[in-house]
Formats: sequence, structure tokens, C-alpha cells
Amino acid sequence: MTSVASLGRACWSAAAMAMAQNQNQKLYSQANKPISLPMSANCACNSFFSFNSAAVPPIAAKSSVKTAVAAVDSDGITSSDATAENEQARKYYFVVANAKFMLDEEEHFKELLFERLRLYGERNKEQDFWLVVEPKFLDKFPNITKRLKRPAVALVSTNGLWITMVIYRLVSMCRFMKLRLDRVLSESYEAESVEEALASNPTDLQFEKPEKWVAPYAKYEYGWWEPFLPPGSKEEAKV
Amino acid sequence: MATEMALVKPITKFGNASPKFTIPRSFSRCKFTTVRMSATSSPQTPSKPRKKAAKTEIKETLLTPRFYTTDFDEMETLFNTEINKNLNQAEFEALLQEFKTDYNQTHFVRNKEFKEAADKMQGPLRQIFVEFLERSCTAEFSGFLLYKELGRRLKKTNPVVAEIFSLMSRDEARHAGFLNKGLSDFNLALDLGFLTKARKYTFFKPKFIFYATYLSEKIGYWRYITIYRHLKENPEYQCYPIFKYFENWCQDENRHGDFFSALMKAQPQFLNDWKAKLWARFFCLSVYVTMYLNDCQRTAFYEGIGLNTKEFDMHVIIETNRTTARIFPAVLDVENPEFKRKLDRMVEINQKLIAVGETDDIPLVKNLKRIPLVAALASEILAAYLMPPIESGSVDFAEFEPQLVY
Repeated sequence: MTSVASLGRACWSAAAMAMAQNQNQKLYSQANKPISLPMSANCACNSFFSFNSAAVPPIAAKSSVKTAVAAVDSDGITSSDATAENEQARKYYFVVANAKFMLDEEEHFKELLFERLRLYGERNKEQDFWLVVEPKFLDKFPNITKRLKRPAVALVSTNGLWITMVIYRLVSMCRFMKLRLDRVLSESYEAESVEEALASNPTDLQFEKPEKWVAPYAKYEYGWWEPFLPPGSKEEAKV
Repeated sequence: MATEMALVKPITKFGNASPKFTIPRSFSRCKFTTVRMSATSSPQTPSKPRKKAAKTEIKETLLTPRFYTTDFDEMETLFNTEINKNLNQAEFEALLQEFKTDYNQTHFVRNKEFKEAADKMQGPLRQIFVEFLERSCTAEFSGFLLYKELGRRLKKTNPVVAEIFSLMSRDEARHAGFLNKGLSDFNLALDLGFLTKARKYTFFKPKFIFYATYLSEKIGYWRYITIYRHLKENPEYQCYPIFKYFENWCQDENRHGDFFSALMKAQPQFLNDWKAKLWARFFCLSVYVTMYLNDCQRTAFYEGIGLNTKEFDMHVIIETNRTTARIFPAVLDVENPEFKRKLDRMVEINQKLIAVGETDDIPLVKNLKRIPLVAALASEILAAYLMPPIESGSVDFAEFEPQLVY
């Protein structure tokens, strides 16, 4: 198995179609909603209603259950921003850090993302968070890039409140780096389309093996992040 | 909440004084967890008539999981948003959202594997599994009681924090219930209502509740994820299906820990002076020593699932300590080999203490024999406490460091 992947500019056609459909069917229309607002939409979680989802694999849900997504918004995984109009720009929130930190050192981070992916599968919720390696949108943030060790990886989501939570938890969990909460590199931007939002520059990721690994289990394997790469970039990675 | 907080009990005697150690005499009786439950062959009928029988059987030792209570009035003041301006409401609301999401809503569903595995388990391993389930259930239930009450009491002064506590009590209840159902496979059931009334509650000031619960949650996370990942790679040791649930389960523990870390950051007075450093070290040591001594008495359990007890414990201690260093102002230098040597000596002394308890001597003779051992144990613990610590803590409190690169 090789430990190098080439992640490049995505070929976006499939994703773009999915997104257009999605935008048609979303019920909300706030493009610039502040991130503290969506609380009110999430009050039903104390009930023990369960979403019967055993048969639906995580990603296959994409095209068939859009309308259901709006109906289960009260479960706490609703995006804080969503667009009703095709034309309207959508807001994306991100937290960015050095790739080694995000993908190699912090094993909690992997667990946190997989837990959410599992939940989305169980609840037939369309994925609204991605890992973008060397994102193009960073060019818009010179204040961030000048402090960022490369290659960088961003966690991008349309759910700003969730990104706030991830930032907080990344900071409290991380073991190796002195990460300052008020200086975690986080921002938001708008993009007309999801492919524009998640475009990345081709990058080879290589991580050195840890000098000593004493845990009674193996490290999470290189490439665990592939399910989180924007659709399209996975195919690219194999080329 | 994890089980590893028992040793801290003695500090309640000292009030606000600097940390000290005493080893009460009951230390030597700690061979087994003694929340003897009402053994019943029909677990579906909770055991009202058995209460009497169980009552005589509750023995608490220093290493048993504890129930906690705290100064709820002080808690109310601490989290009053009008008084405390450090409360970062955006952060708490983001965390609340995460708790509301309820990742494990449908996770804790049993299947027939449980009963089959329990029936297969015989001999000493069966006994030790029952004990594991009892202890874990008691610990989770203890978290439930505390968080439930905090959720109730903080409702007025800080509804967001209160709701998070309520949602955490939901998680703990779920965990405890799941473990209790596991016990039913062994034809046992913990009478939790009875436990609520009959167990002694350890009082901690809010500050200490934060230290203790934070550490409990984090060490619980590390124990569960380590067992899970080990068993995933070594499925031949997967002798009881509960371990398969640990991966998602321990994410709850980790989330709870991070919430306590947010609570502590909102109370910097608990973290930023020399007393806090002494207490932080004290709590770390209490938790680590308790776990190490407990687990070393139960090596059959860890060996039964293919782990080397001491290696497992050291891994958990080191990782918990690294995590804890993110928020506590000082932690122990557990990666110094001398720390493990001290723990190992404590285990030896503890084994001798247990051996004394098992002899046929009259109580007076036993106690006389114990004196030098207790003194030796106390001095080991004190020496471990006094090892040069590691200055740590959230860099959120530190000086601005412009050279940081992310």
C-alpha cells in the first residue's frame, strides 16, 4: 500500500448535480445567518423517537431523501445556513490547520468525524462537511496563510455552529500542539457552488511514522480521511 | 463517568487545606468492589423485597466507585451569567448543540449475543466480569445522579449549562441501564433506586467536582477506546459483546470531558493559582493510583481480553495525562520511568496489605501488621506526588505567543 496520495482539483459534475437538487429542496433561505441562531430549530432531541435507518448506507442516501432532510431538522444536525435559491451564494465555515496535525496526530479528530458520518448515515442526512486538502479558498485569507504551516487541511461545513464546536473540541483534545483557542484559524466565506467552495490544489501528503508507538493498538491508517474528501477528489487521488 | 475516582475520598477531611495523604485503615479491605447487588434469578422483576438483604451487603471501600454531591448553591452562583462574565455562551451553545444531536440515541440496542456470551463465561472470569459490570454501572449511575441534579439546579441561572447537564445525565442513564441489562445476562440486577438511597455520598466543593469528573470522563474515554481498538485488532479476545459498543460509547465520555473543560475555563480562578496546581496534581495522582491498584488486583480481567494490565494502565495514564495537561495548570510527570516504578511498588505493598487481611489473625494483630505497610504505601504515594511536576494548562491563559504556527 502506498502512503502517498495525490489530491487534486476535483472533477465536479456529480457533486454539482447533487447540490443543485439539494438547493431546490431546502426550506431555508438565510444565506448569512449568524452562527448562534439555529438553536431554536433543535428542540426535539430529548424525545426517544428513533430514525429507522438501519438499511440505508451513509452516502447512498444522497439522492433519495432530500425532502426527509428538512423533516428531521430537529435532530440537531441541521446546517445553520442553507439556501433556497439556486443563484444565492452559500456560506461555508471552516477551521484550518497543518495537515499533519489534523490527519496524523490527532486521532480524536478522526473519531469525531466518523461519529458524525455514522450519524448522518443513520438519519439519512446529506453530508455537509468535508475535509479539503490545500484549499483554494485560503488565497482569500492572507492573514491565515501567513501563519499556517503547509500543507494545510481545512474542515469545511455549512453548519457554522458545528464548526464552532469542533474548534473548541480540537483545542481541548489536542495533545501535541499548543493551540490557542482565540487563535485557531477559523473563518467563513461564501461560494456560488459547492465545487468552488471545496476546490483544492494538488498536494502530496506524506507523514513520517511516529518514532515510537506504544499503544496496544495500531495507529489509524493513512488515508482514513478519504470518505470526507469532496466528491470527485477521491477519483482524482487514484490517478 | 469512569470508575477511577475512589481514592480521592480522604481529602474531604481536609477541607481547603493543602493536599495531604492519609491511608485509612480500610485500605486493606479493598480486595473486591463491594457493591453487592441483589442477586436475583428473575432480573425482570426489580427486587423490592430484597432491599433488606442488600442493605447488609453494601460495603464501601476506598477503591469503590463513589457517589458525589456538591454545593449546589455555589454552583448556581458560578454559572450565573449575570455574575460571571467569563462564560463564553457561544462556546456553550455550540456544545449544547452537540449534546442535543444525541449521537448515540439508537446505539445501545442489545442482541442475543449478550446472553450467549454470558452463558459461556464460567469460573473466575465470570466472577470478574460481573464485578466489572457492577463497578461500571455504579460509576455511570453516579454520574447520572450528579448531572441530573446539576441540570435541575442550574435551570434558572444558566439554562444552557443546565440543559447540557441534563443531556449528560441522559447519556449516563443510558450507559448505566445498558450495563445493568448486561448484568441481567448473569442473572443479576443492580437495584439502582436502592443504591441511590443507601450509598454514601462524597461531598466535593464545585472546584473539586470539576477536577474529579473531568478526570473520570477522560480516563473513561481512554480506557474504553483502548479496549475497543485492541479488541478490534484481536477479535479472538472478544469474549463479551459489550466491548463492541465502546467505540461510540466512549465518544460520550470524551464529549462530557470537553464540557467540563469548558466549565473550568469559565472559572479561571480554579486553574490559575499555586493551590490549583497542587490540587490538580493531587487529583491526577488519586485517579491514576486508584486505577492502577484496582486493575492490578484484577489482572484476570485484562488478561482475559488479551491485554497486559500494567501496559494497558500505563497507556491510559499517559494519554489521560496528556489530555489533562490541556486544561489543568500542572500534571504529573507520568512518562518519567520513576513514576511507573513507584506505582509498581505501591501494587506490591497493597498486595501485602491484602494478604494481611486474609490471614486468620485477630483484628489487633492484623492492624499491627498493617501499620508498616500503610506507612510504606503512604510514603510511596507522597513521593510520587512530590516528583517534579509538569507545568501545563490551557494556553488560552498564557501570554500571547505570536510565534505559534498551526
